[in-house]
Amino acid sequence: MAESVPDSSRRPAVARSLTTGVLIGIGVAAFIDETVFHQLLHWHHFYDKSTETAGLVSDGFFHAGGWLSVVVGLFMLADLQRRGTTVIKRVWAGGFLGWGGFQLYDGLIQHKVFELHQIRYHVDLLGYDLAWNLSAGLGILLGLLLLRGGARSGRARSHRS
Amino acid sequence: MTGRRWRQLGRIAAATLGLGCLLATLTPPLADAMTFDRHAVRHLLLAMVAPLAFALSTPITFALRTLPHRLRRILLALLRSRLARALSTAPVVLALDVGGMYAFYLTPLYSATHERPWLNALVDAHMFLAGCLLSWYLVGRDPMPSPPSTRTRLIVLLLAAGSHDLLAKLMYAQHLPAHGGSTEQLQLGAQIMFYGGDVVEVALAVLVLANWYARTGRQLRQTERQHQRQAERRARTGEATPRRLGSPLPQPDDPG
Repeated sequence: MAESVPDSSRRPAVARSLTTGVLIGIGVAAFIDETVFHQLLHWHHFYDKSTETAGLVSDGFFHAGGWLSVVVGLFMLADLQRRGTTVIKRVWAGGFLGWGGFQLYDGLIQHKVFELHQIRYHVDLLGYDLAWNLSAGLGILLGLLLLRGGARSGRARSHRS
Repeated sequence: MTGRRWRQLGRIAAATLGLGCLLATLTPPLADAMTFDRHAVRHLLLAMVAPLAFALSTPITFALRTLPHRLRRILLALLRSRLARALSTAPVVLALDVGGMYAFYLTPLYSATHERPWLNALVDAHMFLAGCLLSWYLVGRDPMPSPPSTRTRLIVLLLAAGSHDLLAKLMYAQHLPAHGGSTEQLQLGAQIMFYGGDVVEVALAVLVLANWYARTGRQLRQTERQHQRQAERRARTGEATPRRLGSPLPQPDDPG
């Protein structure tokens, strides 16, 4: 599409790629939470009787923010691809950071502090909570590792073309 | 068929959908919404789907093109008026839309509308018009006094959608509105509002971003043509090509 554009205007968009990844990561975490745990497994509950109003506020805005993130993230990715300035490694780094961050917020603040709902009911929660939050921590760690490596190879993928 | 013809058909389809939704809310079985789950469906059609459809059908542009001269001048004056300017600012849009919803469902206003038909009609009108205001603000393609940036639109959408989800959960948790019916009906209605609202809100988000993507694409192509012309001129005059041509491509109106 952009044959006539000189290469210099196609500097890899490092920060933008990271932001895009974070938004998509948050969206994916929210999507998995909603479809798998709420709708398919029915482990999570729409509402838990012990929920305080502060929890409902957090839940409402994070629910809305989750799907808004994925829409904005995907359009930004399409825009980066159109310009040929995607740094794919930064997108993945952001993706893991966003996913892990959201999962950790959900697991620690929404499940435990606000007691919005638990991961599952009528079972010993410790294993579930550990698996939930450790996987979130692993995602953040992976994101940070990718971020460190990315500094060396910040090349836009379309520079090959 | 040309692009223009398709757009025309799209506008007619949107207007038809909007009118269909309005008609459905004004006739049985939804008009005499006795149960709260039916009320929730009616509310979604009246305050969210119909306004979005009407915003996409660009009726103001159509009116400006087809109205006789004098009426067109009145409409233009209205669009440029201080009132229109005030109505199309983010805090006012949010206060009218979100504030109206909260006032209706969390206060005795809800049960009061069942005893007074005129009050019911007034609330319906407010819900529809406030929904229109929000839809126009977010995705309207009609001329606007001062069009907001994509970032502002997204923040307004996040606030409106988050408040909507919060209200639905509050109603579910606290069995509101008062005198709205049985707990089962209230909770079913609240879930219809929550998930139905999500569908319309995702559609709004996609439309806001699609407008941004199309506009940025036009600017991108324009810059590319400029670069090309510059390069051609240099080639003609035999000038050496500098290492960097012009400025980097613009990234206007960043949504992120």
